[in-house]
Amino acid sequence: MKKVGIIIDKYHLKYKVTDFLKYLRSKAEVKLYIEESFLVDSSNLKFDEDIFFVKGKGDLILGLVKFIEEEMSIPVINSYKGCWLAINRFLNSVYLKEVGIPIPDFTLNPKGIQPHFNEYIIKNIIDQKNYKFKPIVKKENGQLRVADERALLEVDSKDPRYNYLYYQKFIKSKWEYKIYGIGDKVYYYKQLPILVNANKLESRHEIDEIPELKEYCFKAMEIMDLKVASLDFLKSKDQFFLTDINCTPNFNYIQNGSKIVADFLLEQAR
Amino acid sequence: MNIGILSKRKTMFTDKIKKFFVNNKGFNVKIYTLENLSINDTLLSNDFFILKSKNLFFIYAGQYLKSNKIPVIPDPETSFKQKNRVHSHFLIKKAGLLPPHIYLSTIKTLKKELNNNDFPLILKPIMGSGSKGVRIINSFKDLRAYNSNKILYLEKYIKGEHYNVYFIGDEICTLIKPPLSNEHVHMEFIQTPKDIEMVIQKWKNLLRENGIFGHLDIVREESSNKLYIVDPGSFPEFDQWQVDNISPVETICNLILKRFREFRNI
Repeated sequence: MKKVGIIIDKYHLKYKVTDFLKYLRSKAEVKLYIEESFLVDSSNLKFDEDIFFVKGKGDLILGLVKFIEEEMSIPVINSYKGCWLAINRFLNSVYLKEVGIPIPDFTLNPKGIQPHFNEYIIKNIIDQKNYKFKPIVKKENGQLRVADERALLEVDSKDPRYNYLYYQKFIKSKWEYKIYGIGDKVYYYKQLPILVNANKLESRHEIDEIPELKEYCFKAMEIMDLKVASLDFLKSKDQFFLTDINCTPNFNYIQNGSKIVADFLLEQAR
Repeated sequence: MNIGILSKRKTMFTDKIKKFFVNNKGFNVKIYTLENLSINDTLLSNDFFILKSKNLFFIYAGQYLKSNKIPVIPDPETSFKQKNRVHSHFLIKKAGLLPPHIYLSTIKTLKKELNNNDFPLILKPIMGSGSKGVRIINSFKDLRAYNSNKILYLEKYIKGEHYNVYFIGDEICTLIKPPLSNEHVHMEFIQTPKDIEMVIQKWKNLLRENGIFGHLDIVREESSNKLYIVDPGSFPEFDQWQVDNISPVETICNLILKRFREFRNI
């Protein structure tokens, strides 16, 4: 039986992986490494797993993944590079743009300096914590300005993390396209944008393959070294724009998602 | 030529660099601090950038510039690996040098897994450099002020003599410093011991063209005489550089220009 290590935080363990663990435990020996109760001790780290799967984005999780990659020849999905780039919104925008994936115009500005485009959405710069997008929507001089509450709190709190805001040009789109990449398989869904209907699942439905999105999905996963990811696209004037990429997607939304991911992991195990 | 400097402040070494390039070379120099730096295409009017500080936003700017084929010196990716302490642990190992043992965990887990013999430890921010946010932890009591859910990064405290070692090109300047201090305190200049010279050579061999200057904080462990690397730095202030006939500002600016010409194949 293959040995699979799951590097996870309490939130994902409680809410996101019940079916996945149930299925995986029927196929492999599973050991959990939980961020809140694990000690990374550089003098005493030994593992005999055949593969690790990462479900979380915290500092200990990233540190542990880095240790495994540097010191052992055990595959880790997703890699340190993939997780680090996925949580750093500005950095992944730079990487994605560089390889020609269309993304909305963006800028990182000190608080108080407006972006060079009129309609925008302010997003958090480091997307590391497990809370939901809370949009604050305003119309100023006829221009739409949306801000994620988390991003504003990071600069406006008593002890601000930093004094910067990430602005992404607002893309008006009838649909939001949610694409899951699991190895060389791609799954396609669309839903009403969250600003139109906050309950994203209400309108979500599976759609046929869109070759253009498939190409962008593979290109993005390759440049960011991701093996399991979800990607959000918006469409304006026949042009798709990649607006978000996530290294810990909720695969429960895909039919048989838990089985698909678990089988993929077992295929990738050494 | 237009040069941008990414720096926490407009004074000190940054100001000296600016004056050198303006007065001696006739270049236009703009200093970008965290107050005026917007990271977008407006930066692309410069011919090259100097990454004076390792704040994450300057590193972001460096990556943005690199992806737009604008040279950034020192290299932002190498600077990031020195700033992120988990990365720098492996960078030090890759150079064939000794980093201290490290721990990552929450306070609750540390209490469960460590015992009193494991102290003293040094608490450091995961992303950081120098002495900012660095504390000595003698017992669990010293951790009481920290959020119980926060992931803490701790290093084993190495008891011994502390050195601040600068290098510029082939020149090395070694100073004895008080433990856990920054480079601005009084330090005692010494002739560089052979083993420290070897350490610097190994570090430069690893960084190659990205290690034209910098510094290492080194501790010689009292019990074993081994040298541990406790903090690397890509662009110190060189406050206490004491090598005759070598001006750090002029030498570094010329090394930066040489590196820029290599980038552009001039």
